[in-house]
Amino acid sequence: MVVDDHPVWRDGVRTDLEASGRVEVVAEAADGGEAIERAREAMPELVLMDLNLPTVPGVEAIRRIVEESPHVKVLVLSASAEEADVLEAVKVGASGYLLKSATAAELVDAVVRVRAGEPAFSPSLAALVLGEFRRMSGTSEPGLTARETEVLRLVAKGYTYKEIADQLFLSTKTVQNHVQNILTKLQLSRRYELMRYAIRRGLDRT
Amino acid sequence: MLSLGILAFRWVSLAWIVVLALTAGSLRRPALAAATVAVVAVWTGWLTVARPRPTWPVLAGDLALGVALNLVAGLVMPAGTVGERPYFAGGYPVAAAVTWGAARGVGGGVVAGLVLGASLVAGQLANGIDLASSEPAVLLDLAGGTLNFVLAGGAVGLVARLLERSAGQLRRATEETIRARERAARLAERESLARQIHDSVLQALALVHKRGRELAADGPVPPGQVAGLAEMAAGQERALRSLILREPEGEPTPAGAASLRAALESLATAERLLPVTVGATGALWLPAGHVEELTAAVRQALDNVVEHAGATRAAVFAEEDAGGVVVTVRDDGRGFSYDERRLLAEGKIGLAKSIKGRVEQLGGTMAVTSRPGAGTEVELRVPARKDQRDH
Repeated sequence: MVVDDHPVWRDGVRTDLEASGRVEVVAEAADGGEAIERAREAMPELVLMDLNLPTVPGVEAIRRIVEESPHVKVLVLSASAEEADVLEAVKVGASGYLLKSATAAELVDAVVRVRAGEPAFSPSLAALVLGEFRRMSGTSEPGLTARETEVLRLVAKGYTYKEIADQLFLSTKTVQNHVQNILTKLQLSRRYELMRYAIRRGLDRT
Repeated sequence: MLSLGILAFRWVSLAWIVVLALTAGSLRRPALAAATVAVVAVWTGWLTVARPRPTWPVLAGDLALGVALNLVAGLVMPAGTVGERPYFAGGYPVAAAVTWGAARGVGGGVVAGLVLGASLVAGQLANGIDLASSEPAVLLDLAGGTLNFVLAGGAVGLVARLLERSAGQLRRATEETIRARERAARLAERESLARQIHDSVLQALALVHKRGRELAADGPVPPGQVAGLAEMAAGQERALRSLILREPEGEPTPAGAASLRAALESLATAERLLPVTVGATGALWLPAGHVEELTAAVRQALDNVVEHAGATRAAVFAEEDAGGVVVTVRDDGRGFSYDERRLLAEGKIGLAKSIKGRVEQLGGTMAVTSRPGAGTEVELRVPARKDQRDH
């Protein structure tokens, strides 16, 4: 499913994806509210979406879509690398992030990989996540292991999972698992944040 | 202002001492009196000309002179007369109490006042007055004199602190205004830049639109013309993107600093010969000069990659490390065996040397890791400047 408020852009993405013969576009949506509804009806394996959307903002739409159908993968395709938005999208359940300037081949590749359960960390996203964990260190948040930090840093330096595997004498699958764990910890940290917020609110009221 | 006032007071007091010494006539030890006047004159002259900062040695010297004056007054004035007639010391010792108050606050003024009060007692003893058998009025006089010193020092100390505080408030308010003005200027600049870019984006879009229709109507399209259209759109995309990245939203720019991430991202967007990704763990605020030098070093490293590495892509990664910053430039090119001495001997190290020079100027280091067939990684490590971390 492709979500973007520009019809021309949606058409272009659909054409690129279908021309590859590896991806079928089952639905399109032009805004956040429509995206939540269509995802419910069309039950896509993967939602490819922009963050800057009318009616319901992209991050909120991702949160609702993932909440309703946890098996749906979300790949963010955004024009600007607004740090806060991208991190927030990943925290609410997006599995990857791609800039709109990516080539058709890169787009198809990322879609296929995310659909198969492999997180699509671009180097810039890996760097953002690394910075986020560094800011959280010292709090009670679940931190990264030394190995996870090492993997994340190599992704940020532009190494592929295969190259990282070779360098650290691991299997590619292990590297992917590390990246998946990092993602899970990041999503967990948001849940802790919400919980702490709820507890604070609850305490304030008594 | 305060210190000028105290200086004027010193000169008037000195003049009073001289007048007194010349008119009193019946001074004991005239040589000591003359020497004392000379010392006071030299000290006052030095304070006037050199305008020294009120360091501890200067304050100590001043207080010692005040104490000495009170003592000398007792020695040179006719025996038993100190209490009845104006002091040989005049008002000069008060200047010491006042200076201490101005420099060290109420506490400093009070301490100096007490010391000077004690020297009053010593002066009485030196004048041959038997305090034990003196009348209560004499003792009260003495206590009053001490109190005068303490009050003068303490009061000036209070005033000085109040003045300092309001000067601080004024300075902060002024800085605030300057910052607000800078922000407004930046916004205005951004807006005018945005207008220019919007204009050129609109033009490019109109052209893509028109040429696209024409090409579609013409049937089979020559690839060169499509590539031309794509390049035009790409150019506008780069311009727009660099505008967006110019200043990360929501984060105010610290004075004199620049975002290393923003600089690296505009550099990568401007690179036309190689796809370059940029990752950073945050905005990475550094002194503007550091950002400039580091960006220039990264640009040279990328030039090197384009020219020699045969790479299909490059990645720039910047992270904070112990307050400093580490920038890595990596490519997936053919790599080489990095041996600085051999490369130097073959004269192939010009660019690497220039990058190294830039980084070393910032107190940093450069490290190159490369293997044939495995790409190259250039690591630039720059420490935090101490004075940057301290505030």
